[in-house]
Amino acid sequence: MKQMQPRQNYMGPGGWVWAGKYKLERYLYLLHRITGLGILLFLILHLCMTTIFRIQGQDVWEATMALLHNPWFKIGEYLVCAALIYHALNGLRLILQELGFALGRPTPPVYPYKDALRKKRPWTIAMIAVIAILALVFFYDFIVGGW
Amino acid sequence: MRNTYLRLMQLVTGILIAVLLGIHIVIMHLDAILGFFEVDVTEPTSWESMIGRASQAIWVGLYIALLAVVLYHALNGLRGIILELTPSARTERIVTWVIIAFGIIAFIGSSYVPLALLIS
Repeated sequence: MKQMQPRQNYMGPGGWVWAGKYKLERYLYLLHRITGLGILLFLILHLCMTTIFRIQGQDVWEATMALLHNPWFKIGEYLVCAALIYHALNGLRLILQELGFALGRPTPPVYPYKDALRKKRPWTIAMIAVIAILALVFFYDFIVGGW
Repeated sequence: MRNTYLRLMQLVTGILIAVLLGIHIVIMHLDAILGFFEVDVTEPTSWESMIGRASQAIWVGLYIALLAVVLYHALNGLRGIILELTPSARTERIVTWVIIAFGIIAFIGSSYVPLALLIS
């Protein structure tokens, strides 16, 4: 395990992945970053696809769509959808908590008190549940809707 | 102060994207579930369906608005990640201007095609 040295706590990109024994939210942040970069990559491909191939007319568009209906592309599309669901809901949770909504009244720090992370934890659990449900809904549609 | 407002815009565009991109992916992907609610989406990726949307000003406007907020959100997020590496002030300026230039080129290139299809 990487030990933090005193006065030398800048860990660079390595600290994005592992910065010590942190709780669940710290790893949700890592996943937020990874999904964000993945969606950016998809966005660039998507913009290229919907501009370069669309302006060339119907035949090129239909050939491209036939290629993109390949099962492997569909799996990739599902992963992008799942990443979007995660990034959106985690982002909404972060906005709510950054602006201090729905965290209850502030309480004096008299023992035994709840720390901020524990107050926020129910929202994290609820968010993960909603993400799981939406991911299953999309999975259902990708299977039933056909490849 | 400048970065504070960029960060605040990140939150605002995030909420806008949640709405606009929600519409986009529900229509593009959830055809079986929309069919259950008797909303008929016949193969949204076919040429006819795509041209049908591309010839309505409301869809073109919605998509160009989505493009603008998504590009801001994505590129500002990427800039934040790069600047977390604490580069020198000079590198920071270069990163900022490269990202602004990329965003403008991507916005012009990608909004030109739907506008050209709408006019033709």
